[in-house]
Amino acid sequence: MRVGTAAAVLAAAVLLLTGCSDVHLPAVEEVAGDFAAGDPAVRCQLLTRAAVESLEHEEPAGCATALQDLQLGTGGVESAQVWGTEAQVRLTDDTLFLTATTDGWRVAAAGCAHSDEDRYDCLVEGS
Amino acid sequence: MLRRVADNGLSLAFGALFLVTLVGQAVAGAAEESEQRLDQGLDPVPLLDYVTSSSFAVDVMENWQSEYLQFFLYVLATVWLVQRGSAESEEPDQTGTESDEDQRMGASARGDSPPWVRAGGWRAALFSRSLGLLMGGLFLLTWVATSVAGWTAYNSEQLQSHADPVSWAGYLARADFWSRSFQNWQSEMLAVGSMAVFAVYLRQRGSPESKPVGAPHGDTGETG
Repeated sequence: MRVGTAAAVLAAAVLLLTGCSDVHLPAVEEVAGDFAAGDPAVRCQLLTRAAVESLEHEEPAGCATALQDLQLGTGGVESAQVWGTEAQVRLTDDTLFLTATTDGWRVAAAGCAHSDEDRYDCLVEGS
Repeated sequence: MLRRVADNGLSLAFGALFLVTLVGQAVAGAAEESEQRLDQGLDPVPLLDYVTSSSFAVDVMENWQSEYLQFFLYVLATVWLVQRGSAESEEPDQTGTESDEDQRMGASARGDSPPWVRAGGWRAALFSRSLGLLMGGLFLLTWVATSVAGWTAYNSEQLQSHADPVSWAGYLARADFWSRSFQNWQSEMLAVGSMAVFAVYLRQRGSPESKPVGAPHGDTGETG
């Protein structure tokens, strides 16, 4: 019993220290899956405000029009990681970065490919 | 009731100050984090979300670990090292763990000595090192907690700048972890070292951290 209690306390401490990251995995994977499967209008709704503003800055006709010209991934979710209020989702053909907002998880960057050892260049991202 | 409060004035006062300053850190930290998120076009972070975040946890833990390291080292170092003339030091001829008689252990234990001292054997041996062991244990625990919370906060920043997260072992090799550790450790070493020297030449009337005001600078280990 004492070992069980100690393990529970340790697990609670680790959860608290890591910001309860795994709790958010299902929601992150759902948004990433919807984004990958969605048409441009749906994808615009799942982007962060900063990402939409960045697209609209480049394409005055609007976010959906801007997305039509970009080669973004449409594959299924391969893996996901959540760290605090940020998440990374690997699709079979793309890498997405998500962030927690008051409206839920939103895609902060999409169409991302490695630019060097651990950094990415992304087709869609907020400035 | 009032008597109990008065008898525990130091722990109660510092406990209350700890809580007030911890709340202050939480409020100021949440405001700073919100400012940064607003600059990036993101929503501000609610206070409750901030105090359960890894960035708050690492900021708290990195300070706790250095405080416990300070006391752990000071408790051990003052067994063997002296500062002639300092109220913080033992007399130069009293270094080391001293005799059982001096420490009221073994045959010299008294009726009002703690039970584990009177029990002798491994209990007395463990109890005679319990302060250092607790401080050292709390240091290790909070240092590991710093590494776990720091790892999470670091990876969150990595993702925010569109970079891959790193493993825990990878984080321990990063400058971020050692920068957090050393910047706290150096301030603790400075505070302890300077206090040991200041206590030789300066006085605080009535404080056990100081020698009596009229004591000569050369007197060591005397407290007022």
